[in-house]
Amino acid sequence: MPRWLRLSVVVGIAALVVVLMLSFRRDPHDIRTGTVNKPAAAFTADRLDGTGTLSLRDYAGKVVVLNFFASWCPPCKEENPALVRVWERYRTSDVVFIGIVYEDATDKARAYVSANGVTWPTVRDDDGRIAFAYGVFGPPETYFIGPDGVIAGRRIGAISEATLVASIDKLRAQASR
Amino acid sequence: MTFSFADLGTGALRAALPLAIWGIGAAAYAAAKRDGRALASARWAALITFLLVVLAALAMVGALVTHDFSVAYVAQNNARETPLFFTVVSLWAALEGSILLWTAILAGATAYVAWRGTPALPRLATTALAVLFVMVTFFLLLVTTPAADPFVRSEIVPLNGNGPNPLLQNHPLMALHPPLLYLGYVLFSVPFAYAIASLILGEGGDRWLVATRRFALVSWALLGVGIVAGSWWSYAVLGWGGYWAWDPVENAAIMPWLVATAYLHSVMVEEKRRLLRSWNLSLVIATFALTILGTFLTRSGVVNSVHAFTQSAIGPLLLGYLVAIVVLSVGLLLWRLPTLRDAGAVGAPLSREAIFLFQNVVFVAATLTVLLGTLYPLIAEALSGAQLSIGRPYFDRVEVPLALALLFLMGIGPQLPWHGASRATLERQFTAPIVAAAGGALLAVATGLSGAFAVLTYALAAFVAATVVQEFARGIRARKALHGESAGTAFANLLRRSGRRYGGYVVHLGIVLVAVAVATSQSKTIEVERTVRAGDHFEAAGYTIAFDGLRSVSEPQRDLLVADLRVAGNGADEHLRPALLFFPNATQAVGSPGIAAGLHDDVYTILVAYDTTARSWATIRVLVIPLVSWLWLGGGVVGLGAIIAALPQPKRRDVMRVLADAPATVGD
Amino acid sequence: MTRERALILVALLAILGAVAWSAWPRELTAAERVDRITSELRCVTCQGLSVKDSPAASARQMRDLVVQRVAEGRTDDEIRGEFRASYGDWVLLSPPASSWTGLIWLVPIVALAAGLAAVLGRLRTVVPNAAAPSPPELAALRERVAREEALDLPEADGAE
Repeated sequence: MPRWLRLSVVVGIAALVVVLMLSFRRDPHDIRTGTVNKPAAAFTADRLDGTGTLSLRDYAGKVVVLNFFASWCPPCKEENPALVRVWERYRTSDVVFIGIVYEDATDKARAYVSANGVTWPTVRDDDGRIAFAYGVFGPPETYFIGPDGVIAGRRIGAISEATLVASIDKLRAQASR
Repeated sequence: MTFSFADLGTGALRAALPLAIWGIGAAAYAAAKRDGRALASARWAALITFLLVVLAALAMVGALVTHDFSVAYVAQNNARETPLFFTVVSLWAALEGSILLWTAILAGATAYVAWRGTPALPRLATTALAVLFVMVTFFLLLVTTPAADPFVRSEIVPLNGNGPNPLLQNHPLMALHPPLLYLGYVLFSVPFAYAIASLILGEGGDRWLVATRRFALVSWALLGVGIVAGSWWSYAVLGWGGYWAWDPVENAAIMPWLVATAYLHSVMVEEKRRLLRSWNLSLVIATFALTILGTFLTRSGVVNSVHAFTQSAIGPLLLGYLVAIVVLSVGLLLWRLPTLRDAGAVGAPLSREAIFLFQNVVFVAATLTVLLGTLYPLIAEALSGAQLSIGRPYFDRVEVPLALALLFLMGIGPQLPWHGASRATLERQFTAPIVAAAGGALLAVATGLSGAFAVLTYALAAFVAATVVQEFARGIRARKALHGESAGTAFANLLRRSGRRYGGYVVHLGIVLVAVAVATSQSKTIEVERTVRAGDHFEAAGYTIAFDGLRSVSEPQRDLLVADLRVAGNGADEHLRPALLFFPNATQAVGSPGIAAGLHDDVYTILVAYDTTARSWATIRVLVIPLVSWLWLGGGVVGLGAIIAALPQPKRRDVMRVLADAPATVGD
Repeated sequence: MTRERALILVALLAILGAVAWSAWPRELTAAERVDRITSELRCVTCQGLSVKDSPAASARQMRDLVVQRVAEGRTDDEIRGEFRASYGDWVLLSPPASSWTGLIWLVPIVALAAGLAAVLGRLRTVVPNAAAPSPPELAALRERVAREEALDLPEADGAE
């Protein structure tokens, strides 16, 4: 085997090993791709309770928390109490929660909503276009939209009360500036 | 409980570990000082270690069958409702169990070398035995420490376990695929150990290669058949209609197989012409390293999808093991390089050895491509933070031309003589195959295959098949002329007495079947998706599919929602039941396809969606996949050819013994 | 030209013709365009399947989206761009040839070239010209080859 080939093989193997070692630092829940820091996609959707439609535009200037959920999703049920508590805290201010159904039958979603005390506005997304526009990987996923209409952050997986409060407070501070 | 399988297993493994460590010392001492008693001690250590690990494996099966949920592995992979067959098979359903299986096979190979290998080549085999003991020790360390201890206790003993992963209790192939694959992986340790032994002893000859040739062939065959079995499992269970998705786990298995195939061929060059010594050593080291890399990639969670991440210490340990192996073997190879001189020069470009070299280059290029494609997302993220994917479109586009090049080389290689061929020879030999290739190309166009690659595949497949038929014809003619045998007897004798060569041709035919199956199924699959109500029917590529309705079925470990379909057409008339499977611990249903398999078409049906409220409609996806059965058939033919090639030739044994004792100059 | 050479030439031409015929670029139907685009997009809820292959609900909805966009007359790049805007480059199963990721396409070419260079460097360039054997020598050689084929000569085998 010629020397140059031998050398490149040795270097290649060494590089491979280094890469494999570096890959251990990866956190698979940290997905930075997608729609964060871009303007939130506008949408108009049918309300889940059948009382007409809801547009994102209606809430311009407010802090909007979008939560994608489904009745078949156990982590959604787990995070729900936190959502309920935070909603109670902020509902009278300039913060809005909107729940968006992800890949679920309407009647099952309605049952979930009433069984779990979801009192914030919820909408249907039967063709999945809203989920697509936001880059949803699967429920539960929560998006934070600032008063400027830009997606400030998102969380994949069940969200904790602390994260909710921290993200909302940060956006409200921005608004008051 | 006074007797516990878990205790038995734990005890057996912890007893085996010191024995394995003793084995390293005994074998090394025996090799260095040519001490017969040390060797005997090492032999017994090997045998007892093997028996202890098998005992541990059987203990795990016992724990599974008795639903002993105090063992964490059983709690995670078994439930009371799990059928007995899948309970037993859960031994290799998850990490710890499969490492235990690996250890058992490795210990078995070590015992085999200790008892059958050492009498024939004392010093070489005993040194190899020491190397094997080191490997066994590493794996025993894995299974006796929290890294992969299968008998670790549950923190809280649940009343019922989780049951196996839903995908792993669907299909009887679960019994076959992992053991075959592991046998293939692990048995490669033996040629590797012999190669390292040869380097340590500074032999510089070919004895290690000749001694382990059959082992390498058998491992290669088991790995190959294991991969095809996995492919078949994926097809029958995963429910998307494909059999290969270039998933990282699939890639992890095929990389060692590709390099092993290159190795099997270049071994012939070394045997016949005493060339490529250092290259063959590199190939064996690469094959073995890739088996460990493959295990590492599969088990460490480093390349799994975004939604899965196994956290265990085994990742860094396997990586450390891999690094140690690579550094030590490459170091040994570079140290001994001056002693590995070739006994001549490679022949002309159109000689068999040159074709084998080209084939090696293509196989290595193919392997490197798969390796870098699989790791590229990791590399990109480590270097720049970007997250990207490399999937089927990339691998297909890149590997198909390489595969076609290999088909071509497969056709011309066996026909060319060693040292070189003249123009006249070439013309005489290749006229018929090239005409056959034209026939193949025209057949492809006539049957509606689209795409240049599919047409080329048919042409090259016909080319290779014609060369194989030519070779058999020549051999039969020669035997008829000299022994007066009938054609049938001559054929049988070719396989029996020149098994290596003609078994190899059978393997090539198997590969041809696989190539044709892949080209046809990729090019001519027809997909139809319809939403239907009970009583509706629709057409798909000449078949009529009638939907009779949805019904629920309850089984102890799962609930099913079955779509009853009747498929008719082209002589088929079958009742298919694609279903959605609901397991108690899974959030979403697992799809299970209904397949009407045939020699020509498979009709593959999937229940994609259904009316969750009233069950009045269902969405059915139907794929009509031509010639996919030839894939499994081809895999079987490859296995058959490997058996023919590996069988010892009759009436050869006394000659073998004489030759084995002779110095390594046999075969010229 | 000998008969064999003529046959070989005709056969090669036939193969070339068949390949050209099947490779001839032609207008793809809308369905074929959808298939091609969806086969290069990654299903976001699966383990590496393409949107085309996956039976998952999210994948089927994405396929519907692609069908709609193709019907609207968008180009392949525009459609892929829409997916990239939502999910990033991760959603493309085949890295675009431009930019860093495109380097991966060079890997097989470089590997083949390096290998071929190494091999060709080791091959003898000229086969020494031996005198052609006379007819009786040729006949004896042929007979010897036939005999060696049919005889049970031991193969170079190891200690098993």
